[in-house]
Amino acid sequence: MGLSTLFFITGCMKEELLWDLEQPAYDIPDKGIFVTNEGNFMYGNASLTYYDPETREVLDDVFFNTNGLPLGDVAHSMTIHDSLGYVVINNSGRIYIFNTSTFELVGKITGLTSPRYMHFISDTKAYVSDLYARSIAVVNPISREVTGSIPVGNANREFYQHSTEQMLQYDKYIYTNCWSYDKQVLVIDSETDRVVDSIEVLKQPNSMQLDRDHALWVLCDGGEEGSPYGSEAGGLLKIGAGSREVQIVHRFVRGERPMNLEINGRGDTLYYLNGDIFRFAVDGSGEPELLIESPYEGASMAGFYGLDVDPLSSELYVADAIDFVQRGMVYRFTSKGMPVDTFRTGIAPGGFCFNF
Amino acid sequence: MKRLIWILVLVGFLAFPVFSQGIQDSVYAIEEVAITAERIFVKEQAGMKQTNMDTTILQQKVALSLSDLLSENTSVFIKNHGRGALATASFRGSSASHTQVNWNGININSPMAGMVDFSLIPVYIIDELILKHGSASLADRSGGIGGSININNQAEWGEKGRVSYMQGIGSYSTFDEFLKLSLGKGKIRSKTRLYHNYSKNDYTFINRGIARIDPVSGEISNPLDTNSHAAYSRYGLLQEIYYRAQTNHIVSVKYWGQYADRTIPKPSSYEGPDYSNLNNQLDTDHRLVVDWKYYGDKGKLLLRTGFAGKKLDYSQQNRVPGLGVIPAIFSISRQESFFNTLSYSGGSQEDLSWEGSMDLNRHHVFSADSVSGAGYEGGRSELSLMWALRKSFQDRINLNLMLRQEWVDGQRVPFVPYFGMDVRLIQGMDLLLKGNIARNYHQPTLNDLYWQPGGNPDLIPEEGFTMEMGMEYQQDWSGHLLKTELSLYRSDINNWIIWIPSYRGFWEPRNIRRVLSKGVECNIQVRGYLSALNYKLSATYGYTSAVNEGNPLIWSDESYGKQLVYIPLHSGNMMAHIEWGNLFLTYQYNAYSERYTTSSNDVTERDRLYPYFMNDISAGSTFSLKRVELFLELKMNNLFNESYHTILYQPMPGRNFQLIMKIQL
Repeated sequence: MGLSTLFFITGCMKEELLWDLEQPAYDIPDKGIFVTNEGNFMYGNASLTYYDPETREVLDDVFFNTNGLPLGDVAHSMTIHDSLGYVVINNSGRIYIFNTSTFELVGKITGLTSPRYMHFISDTKAYVSDLYARSIAVVNPISREVTGSIPVGNANREFYQHSTEQMLQYDKYIYTNCWSYDKQVLVIDSETDRVVDSIEVLKQPNSMQLDRDHALWVLCDGGEEGSPYGSEAGGLLKIGAGSREVQIVHRFVRGERPMNLEINGRGDTLYYLNGDIFRFAVDGSGEPELLIESPYEGASMAGFYGLDVDPLSSELYVADAIDFVQRGMVYRFTSKGMPVDTFRTGIAPGGFCFNF
Repeated sequence: MKRLIWILVLVGFLAFPVFSQGIQDSVYAIEEVAITAERIFVKEQAGMKQTNMDTTILQQKVALSLSDLLSENTSVFIKNHGRGALATASFRGSSASHTQVNWNGININSPMAGMVDFSLIPVYIIDELILKHGSASLADRSGGIGGSININNQAEWGEKGRVSYMQGIGSYSTFDEFLKLSLGKGKIRSKTRLYHNYSKNDYTFINRGIARIDPVSGEISNPLDTNSHAAYSRYGLLQEIYYRAQTNHIVSVKYWGQYADRTIPKPSSYEGPDYSNLNNQLDTDHRLVVDWKYYGDKGKLLLRTGFAGKKLDYSQQNRVPGLGVIPAIFSISRQESFFNTLSYSGGSQEDLSWEGSMDLNRHHVFSADSVSGAGYEGGRSELSLMWALRKSFQDRINLNLMLRQEWVDGQRVPFVPYFGMDVRLIQGMDLLLKGNIARNYHQPTLNDLYWQPGGNPDLIPEEGFTMEMGMEYQQDWSGHLLKTELSLYRSDINNWIIWIPSYRGFWEPRNIRRVLSKGVECNIQVRGYLSALNYKLSATYGYTSAVNEGNPLIWSDESYGKQLVYIPLHSGNMMAHIEWGNLFLTYQYNAYSERYTTSSNDVTERDRLYPYFMNDISAGSTFSLKRVELFLELKMNNLFNESYHTILYQPMPGRNFQLIMKIQL
């Protein structure tokens, strides 16, 4: 109650004081892992965590603490190119560019409608996929400008198509999956910046990987039950190197929601989340194998939200967003699924970016 | 020092109406505040905490929204998403859907989302405002685990016909127009209110969400931005007709229609192309209630039928090359509710009364997104039977027993009992000890049950068990009246519904929380005369501990034992109002302690909702020229020009002004 008296007598809110920040003196490890924490939609509380797998040191909220600037609203993904980190901030319509060895902001690319992922074609050209723009933005990472766009709009007016997500490159072709209310993988010629083909997969392809033989693997969740777009059993699909032919390798049970297809550094083992964590050898020698069980009770609870594989050690990093309104956790496992470490992140950890 | 300057400016401002007195024919005497004590020992309200909003405050805030009034003058916490934007209410740490809102006896909570947007209720349409805290809301209906807010309109029998027009002009191109027409004589009365509010809402703020990077030094600064795409407008009509066939029969018809068009600002950090991320919301409401009241020798009969319809369209549009600006989201919803009430209160003796009532309601909703095609259609029927018995013992003890049984879609829901008691501690004095114990249920909303995707038809009602105790004291002495009340409550709410992401990839509501809310509410009001000066001072203070006691989701879940998000532990406000001759001056202060945005109560400098302190001041004059009454008022909001936000990265306006002029014939 003493506190309350004090609280009535004092006056100003002094928002300015909040921003009177001191830059921490970081001893930044050369090699580390960035965790992109999405934050909450419309809260503007996205953040970056940096983790040193050798010393197990965790640096919290490195972007904000270094720059005195919030990252923005929903950090969707991050890419590193030439020691610069590019963080795609979906609901802020921009990409922040920072120096990965100092965490200092060096620039930004703005004018993006609802950006999701960034893919480098060369030092002066990159693609940015988008949820709503019905086009892929072509950007120049040197001048930090949007230089063009590749229309991906579909004549199908019944649903909002195409939204574009992840991008993978084989030869000069960029493959991008169209997830939302869609079932296509588009093929873009990176020399002409045009969509040259599309591959029909199963409903709602949400993630992709290229294996050691350049075969494209696509994970489809099958859509939501009761959705007007309809739903089907999801599947894990393989498209041979450079081919457009789809082979359904594994079919999930209807109602399951597989996501986050990842691959190890050697490109021989796939991992994905389906409530629990599963592993699958690309040579097709067996069925998907349950590797790590989710600690959440029942299969219907949230739990694991992000997954990635260390390209060097093949260790697994699993992000847990808990209830999405508190700081999440990351669990680190060996490639065999043995626990190694856990650490806290920011709110809603969703992605990893390896700075090796 | 800055404050002192502002106070001097205000004093200067006060001199203005004094000067204008020269042109006056006669000084219009403000009605003297009646310094009479209210009856607080009422058996029908035994054990209940009820706040009847002072009419001075209703008049003071007539050009504002109910959200402003509730946050500034009551212990209800308003979560305000911006000026003119969504504002929801939380009573005693409960959620927005736990506050039942009744307009002339019909419930106006959205059957889809369960809550009410208080920014869409103008104070102008309110004649009487009653807050029923906690279980007191059970007198009208169940579901108000936090409490209820009751908005009533009343006939002005015996008054002559009147026309009044009020014009408000404010900062950020804000214009408010209000017209009121009061007619009728003898057995019939009509009251018509028409209003229109518009604001461009284009205040400026330092945008902390956007970096300006100096190309040479690399230094980061924040631009001064304008709150664009934030305009709102509202059109409304309230029509009341009262017919008193005989002295003991009254029939009334009330209709309230409103159309609101709002653009919702983009996230302040948005740097996408122009004509992208454009959000718009249209709300169209129609509400109608017809009452027949009969006052017999032995009791009072009420027959009521009502309708509430809502149309809500929300869209998000983006510019797509070659296609123009097209919607990425276009969701429409239609909500219709029908209400019927039959109630009889009887009791021939002074010390004993009873009441029986039956409610039969039907809700129907339809929602669809025309872009994705997702949507649902759903409905609900409710039957509620209530019986109450109230007994008074020698003007010392009041007992109040209310029993309620409900059926939802033909399924019996658990029984809702209430027991309340008042004890007059000292004979002849208004010093009461009061308390109640009750159970309450809140049904899942139709969105909770059927939303596509995610709706969970297996949800069970949220269940509250509440105990409350308090003291109320009232004393008047030679022209001064003191009223004060202190309440302590404890509310244990089980099966609290929250939406959490499911492993299926979308958010799903589940009955997983248990919330224990404990707190104190205190209010005090003093008013009276000091020779030619009328004064009124009032203050409220609330301590609200609303803690999540549900089972942790996982070992690393740190939300257990923590305060719920957006519920301040301390909240309070103060108002001082003085009238001297035909001049008046009002000072308003409002404060909340820090609110959390994380369930674990983690705070970082980036996402802090630091304690909130707001000072507003207004001054004006009422005078008359022949038979015309004039009223002039200048309000200054955010007196100390504070930069602040109440939602993360949603900056609020600095010091702003509003001029209100009223003319009445």
